[in-house]
Amino acid sequence: MKKSHLEELSTIFENDGILHQQEDMIAYSYDASHIEKTPEAVVFATSTDQICKLMQFAYREDIPVTPRGQGSGLSGGSVPIEKGIVLVLDRMRKMLDFDPENRLITVEAGMTTSDIDPIVASADLFYPPDPGSVTFSTIGGNIAENAGGLRGLKYGVTKDYVKMLKVVLPKGDIVTIGSKCVKHVAGFNLEPIFVGSEGLLGIITEVTLALLPIPKHRESALVVFNTLNDAAQCVSDIIAYGVTPSTMEFMDKTTINAVQNFKDCNLPRDAEAVLLIETDGEKNSAIGEMKNIKKAAEKNSFRSFSLAGNTKERDLLFEGRRIALNALANVKPNLILEDATVVRSKLPDMVRGICEIATKYNLMVGIFGHAGDGNLHPTFLIDKNDTDEMKRTEKAVKELFRLAIDLEGTISGEHGIGLEKKPFLEDQIGSAGIQLLCDIKRTFDPKNLLNPGKMFDFPNSTSN
Amino acid sequence: MMVQRQREQAETHLLRAAQEFQKCMQCGKCRSVCPVFKEIGNELYVARGKNKLAEKIVSGDLQITSRVKDAINECLNCKTCSANCPAGVSPEHVVLRLRWYITTREGLGLFKALVFRQLLWRKWPIIAGAVFIGFVQRILLDIGPQNPVRHLFPLFGFSKRRNFPRLALRPAQSLYPEVIPSKKGTPVKRIGYFTGCAGNLIYTNVVKSVVDILTGYGYDVVIPKDQKCSGTPVLANGDYEGAANLMEHNFNLFRRYDLDAIVVSCSSCGLALKKEIKLFIDNCDELREFCDKIYDINEFLEKEVQFGPNDLGRLPYRVTYHDPCHLNRGQDVRKEPRSLLMKIPGLIFKEMQDAAVCCGSAGSYCLTHYETAIQINNHKIKNIQKEYVEYVATACPTCIMHIQDNLLQHHSGEKARFVVEILADSLRKAGTI
Ligand SMILES: Cc1cc2nc3c(=O)[nH]c(=O)nc-3n(C[C@H](O)[C@H](O)[C@H](O)COP(=O)(O)OP(=O)(O)OC[C@H]3O[C@@H](n4cnc5c(N)ncnc54)[C@H](O)[C@@H]3O)c2cc1C
Ligand code: SF4
Ligand code: SF4
Repeated sequence: MKKSHLEELSTIFENDGILHQQEDMIAYSYDASHIEKTPEAVVFATSTDQICKLMQFAYREDIPVTPRGQGSGLSGGSVPIEKGIVLVLDRMRKMLDFDPENRLITVEAGMTTSDIDPIVASADLFYPPDPGSVTFSTIGGNIAENAGGLRGLKYGVTKDYVKMLKVVLPKGDIVTIGSKCVKHVAGFNLEPIFVGSEGLLGIITEVTLALLPIPKHRESALVVFNTLNDAAQCVSDIIAYGVTPSTMEFMDKTTINAVQNFKDCNLPRDAEAVLLIETDGEKNSAIGEMKNIKKAAEKNSFRSFSLAGNTKERDLLFEGRRIALNALANVKPNLILEDATVVRSKLPDMVRGICEIATKYNLMVGIFGHAGDGNLHPTFLIDKNDTDEMKRTEKAVKELFRLAIDLEGTISGEHGIGLEKKPFLEDQIGSAGIQLLCDIKRTFDPKNLLNPGKMFDFPNSTSN
Repeated sequence: MMVQRQREQAETHLLRAAQEFQKCMQCGKCRSVCPVFKEIGNELYVARGKNKLAEKIVSGDLQITSRVKDAINECLNCKTCSANCPAGVSPEHVVLRLRWYITTREGLGLFKALVFRQLLWRKWPIIAGAVFIGFVQRILLDIGPQNPVRHLFPLFGFSKRRNFPRLALRPAQSLYPEVIPSKKGTPVKRIGYFTGCAGNLIYTNVVKSVVDILTGYGYDVVIPKDQKCSGTPVLANGDYEGAANLMEHNFNLFRRYDLDAIVVSCSSCGLALKKEIKLFIDNCDELREFCDKIYDINEFLEKEVQFGPNDLGRLPYRVTYHDPCHLNRGQDVRKEPRSLLMKIPGLIFKEMQDAAVCCGSAGSYCLTHYETAIQINNHKIKNIQKEYVEYVATACPTCIMHIQDNLLQHHSGEKARFVVEILADSLRKAGTI
């Protein structure tokens, strides 16, 4: 980056708000995916105004800008693939307004998601989306990726809670979209276009989120199955039964054993699969729902069905699920975690298909995930230094996406396209779909300077 | 030119670092827990960033620049990252390996070489220096811990804002014979005591408390005269070989005395002898036996000693407890010190918020990185002050030093004490010891 550029940047960001040394560039060259690229400068924003000035500057000087929250993304979204400037938002973490009467909270986009809960709990409210990364991802990153979580089945995902956004557009204009009202139709319904936009259309700086009352009661159960198929079928049946658990998590045998090796969470090592199910709400209805779940489970020859008797037992159950990924990470040196997702009725087909793919390519796979919403995390356990295994994994991943699409599912349930899944997006949405995305992008960002190279190839862009 | 052996050693350090950082999934969870990152807010200083730096150094894409050194020196070895890492990485070991790698290649520098290889080994110059300073502190300038000795600190690159505790006039070890007999006739057991330099030269009252309690409850206490530094400051400062020499020395020394157990009153020395020593001495039966014998003093007292109903005198204090990183995450000892305190009649135990968060001391870190160390510590002080306590108890000399310093900066008086000191007060009050 030119000296004059750095000088101009330092007039926008204070002294400790800008980095450009080689070592720092390495530190901002990656996220939780497998791709890295060093930027030329990193800036730390503390206000919307600074970001507005930054984008005016970047547009004038043709410099790419990549927004970044905490860099916990799994699809390479905050990797500055076209170099340029990384704009870090994690210092914009103020609570701006808490409005318990209307069940709303307005925060800066760099606030860590789990920081919201202690603030709103004082009014008996909670913010439902809870990605596995709640304690370290930003709310802005969650919105940009439309993050989901364990409670997605009953409570939906990030997009269901975004009421208002303050966004800096690529050329530097600041817009506030949405409304605090429950109902509003003033203009196009614009909020959703930024939810899941992966930092390509604008930089979210402030957000107003809807909150819900904390459920009064919770029932948690562990259901153990002798076959994978029974477990997957049971999920479909429970939904068909008309019950909506707040959580319905799935773990296969590989995952169960990885967890047990990592930490004893009382999971049965010889089971083929378990479901971890929770219902919540008024006490009687939560209990009633759980009874219905048991009935649905009975149709699928489960081996055991045990209710958590107290908070400690419940915590232990959930601990197992929470540490699943960590536990799997300890089985082999590396892993590739996917988030292929299908409609719930297709879950048995999906699980079977994944197992077939793993067998075909002689790979170890652990399957766990948010079974209730069809969002599975098939996790290939590999050793990156084993080139043959890596080749087989690449093929397997490709086939996995094909399978999801063939089952009318999606290649990403929550982690986004970014760089990791860019080659597969056209398979799902077709060339006309890609064209539409490009046209939208061009409307917002004609020079393709905001997070370029992600999601799809912009015509004339220099990206590969 | 580096000699062959040194080069090999340096390569081994890189290899070991690589074995560790390769497990990192780059998830970013450490961002939410690393105390240094919380203050500095630059990814370069968080565990994940340090792992990435190590990766680049190993692959040859990055040289050891001054900024690299700066980044790897910004680590408290507090192990919070390891304790929370989903993938089971120990980033502080990556940091240590890099420090060892760098000093193996570049040499220690005059000051560190003098201290780690000469003074700590010979001991007497340090003792003489400490006693001299202690003398000056008292006789000439007896104005408590806020004494002007600190004006000498910038000479060594340390901040002079630091308040420094009074050094002893006589090293604790010189107050006792090598074997201190039980006060209760035939000894129950023979216990070795590793006093640590801080116990020997600064916090002599801790040594006295430990000796009084143990002999008072019927143990013979053996303080081998030739014990040397445990090696912790040496290894943390990048001197692998210096640390290895010290570890080997203490290992061989203590084995010569027929001991049932060895107690340690400094959390870092305890960690060094219980666990870190395994990085320096090849695994063997003798080593396992040695490590199994090491107990933190709080752990030992809680496990071994039955305090009778009338043994403990009333102490009407409110006391809170700060978990030293090397005791809590390092040795999994957290219940014991609290439980000892709670045994004392009249004492009201107040659990403070974030008791287990690092106080920022980290041995010499708080000397060399004073400003960040104090920023980290400010959270601790706030949490202590919220409890309105007479004392904050802990079990690590450098925590005490740092917390006490900052308490004074916050006009909060002399409040930081060792758990065993308070316990001994109570036992003495009842006339038990
Ligand atoms: C262990 C682990 C568990 C995870 N579990 C889940 C899970 O359960 N569900 C789930 O959905 N995801 C999960 N993730 C993925 C990841 O945490 C989420 O995608 C998260 O939303 C990313 O937030 P971040 O702040 O880290 O954003 P980053 O990774 O920094 O950025 C993600 C994307 O958002 C863009 N962006 C960031 N901030 C802004 C902003 N303010 N304005 C515009 N664009 C912005 C970036 O450019 C990038 O494209 C997990 C990740 C890990 C490592
Ligand atoms: S928490 Fe562990 S795995 Fe995650 S980034 Fe930090 S060191 Fe790596
Ligand atoms: S040991 Fe402590 S200071 Fe060092 S990287 Fe880990 S959390 Fe940060």
